[in-house]
Parts: sequence; C-alpha cells; structure tokens
Amino acid sequence: MCLLTPKSMDAMNRNAPPPEPRKKRLSPLDFIIYGVVIGFIYYAGYRVNDVLVYNWNWSRVFNFLVRYDADANNYVANLLLFGLATTLRLAVWATILAAIIGVVMGYWRTCDNLTLRIISRSYVELIRNLPPLVFIFIFYFFISSQLFPVLGIEDINRENQFVDSVMFQVMFGDPRLLSNFLAGALCLAMFEGAYITEIVRAGIQSVGKGQWEASRAIGLSPFNVLRDIIMPQAFRKILPPLAGQFITLIKDSAIVSLISIQELTFMATEVAATTTRVFETWILVGAMYFILCYIFALTFGWLERRATKNHR
Amino acid sequence: MKFRKNVKSMVCAAVLVAVGFLTTTAPVLAQSALIDIEKRGVLRVGMSTFVPWAMRSKEGDLIGFEIDVATKLAQDMGVEVEFVPTAWSGIIPALIAKKFDVIVGGMSITPQRNLTVNFTRPYAHSGQQMAANTKLSGSFTSMDDYNDSSVTIACRRGATPCNFAQERFPKASLRQFDDDAQAFQEVVNGNAHAMISSAPKPRFWSEAYPDKVFVANDGKNLSQGDEAFALRKGDIDTLNFFSNWILVNESNGWLAKTHAYWFEDQSGWKDMVAE
Repeated sequence: MCLLTPKSMDAMNRNAPPPEPRKKRLSPLDFIIYGVVIGFIYYAGYRVNDVLVYNWNWSRVFNFLVRYDADANNYVANLLLFGLATTLRLAVWATILAAIIGVVMGYWRTCDNLTLRIISRSYVELIRNLPPLVFIFIFYFFISSQLFPVLGIEDINRENQFVDSVMFQVMFGDPRLLSNFLAGALCLAMFEGAYITEIVRAGIQSVGKGQWEASRAIGLSPFNVLRDIIMPQAFRKILPPLAGQFITLIKDSAIVSLISIQELTFMATEVAATTTRVFETWILVGAMYFILCYIFALTFGWLERRATKNHR
Repeated sequence: MKFRKNVKSMVCAAVLVAVGFLTTTAPVLAQSALIDIEKRGVLRVGMSTFVPWAMRSKEGDLIGFEIDVATKLAQDMGVEVEFVPTAWSGIIPALIAKKFDVIVGGMSITPQRNLTVNFTRPYAHSGQQMAANTKLSGSFTSMDDYNDSSVTIACRRGATPCNFAQERFPKASLRQFDDDAQAFQEVVNGNAHAMISSAPKPRFWSEAYPDKVFVANDGKNLSQGDEAFALRKGDIDTLNFFSNWILVNESNGWLAKTHAYWFEDQSGWKDMVAE
C-alpha cells in the first residue's frame, strides 16, 4: 500500500531501478487457517485410528492393482487396473458418441425447422430432468435389451480376425464383454449427449448474427455456411467446456457400475466383497479416479493455454 | 404458416406414438434357452460376488462353490461357461432382460421371487447366521433380546437376510448396506448390534475379530434356506433339465462334496484368496 505522495514524486530519480516488489508474506490469519486445517486433519486421523476399530491391511487390496506373477516372474495388472482401462475406454467412446449426438442435436436446437427443434428439445429436457440412475436403469433394462439382439451384437463371431486382434482388445476390451461394454458406453453417451447439446447450442448461438448474414450474402450454401463459417468459430469457444465435460464423464461413468458394466467402480465392489477390505478399496479407487481426472485437467489446461497463445 | 407448423408437430407426435406402439406390442417368441445355449455353445451364468459362493482369487479369477457348480453344469452340457458378474440388487431384472441364461448365485427360494422367476430344485441349503458385537450384545441371553427398539441390525440391501431380520426382529431398526462387508464393518465399529448374512460368512469374519465379534445363537444358523438356480418364466424344458442335473449330482454325492470343500472350513482354499 505505497501511495505516491507529491513529495516522493519529486524525490523520485527517473534513472533508478524500479523498487523491489513487496515480498509476499503470510499474515497471522493465514497461519491460523493453516493451523485449523492441519488440526482438523489430525483430528480426523485420530478418529480413524482410535475410535474406528479397524485393522488396516493394504496388501490384499494392492494385490488387486498389480500382482506378482510367479510363472512370468514379473508384475502384471490385476482387476482394478483392468477396471481403470475399461473406465478410460468407456469415457473415450462415450465422449465420441456424445459429441456426435451433441453436434447434431445442438444444431437442431438452433434450426428454424420446428420438428427438429421439438425432437432435440424433448431429448435434452427428458434427460436433464431425469436422475441419471433412473435413466440408466430404464435404458439398460428396456432399450438396450431390445436393441442389441436386433443388431446381433450378442452373437458376434469371436474367431473373426478383426475381433481376435490386439487392436480390438485395446479399443473395446474383452470380446466376451462387448455387449456389456457397449451398453455402458451408449448409456453414458445418451446421457452426456444432452449436456454437450447445450454446450454446442450455446457455441452456435454465440456466433454473431452478422456472420450468418454475411456468409449467406456471399452465396454460400446452408451446409457451407455451417461447415466453413459458423462451426469453426463455435468450436473454438466450446472446446474448454467440452474438455470439462469429458472429465465429468469419467466421474459419471462410476454410475454404470450399477448395471454391472465391468469398470473401475464395479471391480472395486467385487474386490471389496472378496477381501472385505472396504475402506482400503474405496480409498485406493478414489485416489485412482483423482489421479486420472487431475492428469486430464492439467493436460486440457495446458492445451488450452497453448491454443490461445498460437491464436493471438 | 402457423397452420403448417401445427400440422408438422401433430404428424411428428403421431409418428412417435405409432413407433411406441410397434415396439411395445412386438410378439414375444417363447423359445427354450436350452436351444439358444447349444446354438451359441456358451452357457451364460449370472452371479454376484459372495464369499464363499463366488469370489476373486489372488489372480483376479472367479472361484467358489457356485463357480464349480456352473462349470460342471456347462461341462455336462458340452458347452463353455461364461460368468456375468452382476450387482445383486439388479440380478433378477438382468435375467429377465436376457443378459444371461440362468442365475447361479446362491439365491434362496422365496415366494415373492418365485412370482417373477422360476426356481429349480435346491442345489444347496444354507442358512442365516448372525454376527454380533461383543460389547453391545454380549450380555443378551436369548435371541428375543435382539427384538428391541434399541437394537440396530445391519444387512445387505435386497438380500434375504434383510427380510428375515424384519420378520424375526420387527422391533429392531434395520440398516441396509450395498454389501455384506460394509454391514459387518458396522458391527465391528459398534454402530450396529448385529448383522445377518448367509452362512458361513459371519463365522469366517468373526474369526478375524475374536474379541470384538461373536456368532450369535451359539454359532448355529438362525434359519435354513434353499438355494436354487433361477430362470426366466415359461421355459419348462430348461427348468426340467437343470432340476434333474441337480438331482443327479445330489445322488452321486458331487454337490455335497463340493459344498463341504467351500463351506466347512477355509483351509482348502484360503491360500487362493489371501497371502
């Protein structure tokens, strides 16, 4: 708080180096806040150790993360890591599908055509006003069990060269669980698609009216207006919220464990039931989700900064 | 213009309604699951993790009494077996939605369940066992002492023990959890007087906390259950086949031998699940 008085202005030597910036000091209030937080953590630790009667045993739970394979003389992945891989696959596929749904529906939301607006609006309102759990049960037990037999997904040929390849394993996981996996991915995509629809709609509407009018005036077809003028501008604006939605989707994917999709949370219930190590399992799984989501948040933040730097 | 818009929306609504009717009134073809299983070459079995019925070994593979039963069943049918681990609370809807052919999941026969699914003859007889907190309920002299409004009993949501607890101890307050391990932990922590679960889990767990938890009713089961395979309604052929498969394996002693291996004591398989 160094206000320049007229007197000091006079005394100021223009050639002198600028004064050092004031050092950032921790005020007593900061120390009090730190103290309270640390005290709270200690108290929680004390409660867990002394009041909660629990024999902590992490080794059995860690064993389900990676285990030592005596035959291969090596450490190999176990259930929880497989679950994590499935969660990642789910998130990637669901995001791709949800983005497709979101772009189409989001455009329809801004269309002049009433029917298209009714369809997209109904979709968004239906999904946004249902609890995710209820939607997932309805979808899984009624829609997916009608849809998949018609598509023949249950009876895919497992000896097929494409299905038997490593590529397929990386993309979809175990072929035996394909219909299970697709049900989960589709369910999440339908659900998240509604939110992406709104993001896309906001993006399209944020492009100025003049852009539409000008592009039409130079004689572009409606498709070209959208592809070459509107969407590129809209996408630049919606990328940050879209990235945020991807991270939300990873976390939301835990809910499909209730329809027995074999992802991280479902595997954790299996491990917790087998080992009876409930706290250890959930703390470990919580840490896994946190690390995964935080890495993505940092990556997206970095990408965003880079994109704006290049653009300006 | 306005009129045209109205017509458009009405047509749209009519199409939606028509599609809805078509999908709901599609005829249901009643076909025996046996034919499907043989054509596919795979028996799909719905199950839920439940020590020692089905659990994970150190390698992450499924092991347990049920796993042995379903594997032998598939072998005898000449097909492969495929397990579909399913959350217990949704296992019957999943069966009806044809996510698998049969539930071999230590499911006890109850009249309520039998209204929605068919049961084979029982392949195992388990019972309910109660693990109680020594500090809270060590002084109880009879089982009726648990039937009191100050008593809290924990159980797994949607499982038979919860219904049993409600009938046997109507005055006690019930706390439901998503799995048994959580329910048991409540007893260890002293938040519940007792928990009820299928034998022998309460006994196995109590062995890990000998001074905090004991098995109520002098270690005896509180009730006897009849566990059977569950199938979709209206499939008499498959029901007959599975029932008689159980009968044959009961007579030749295979079921009793396998049951004893998993339920009598943990010595045979403890190394498979823990260090």
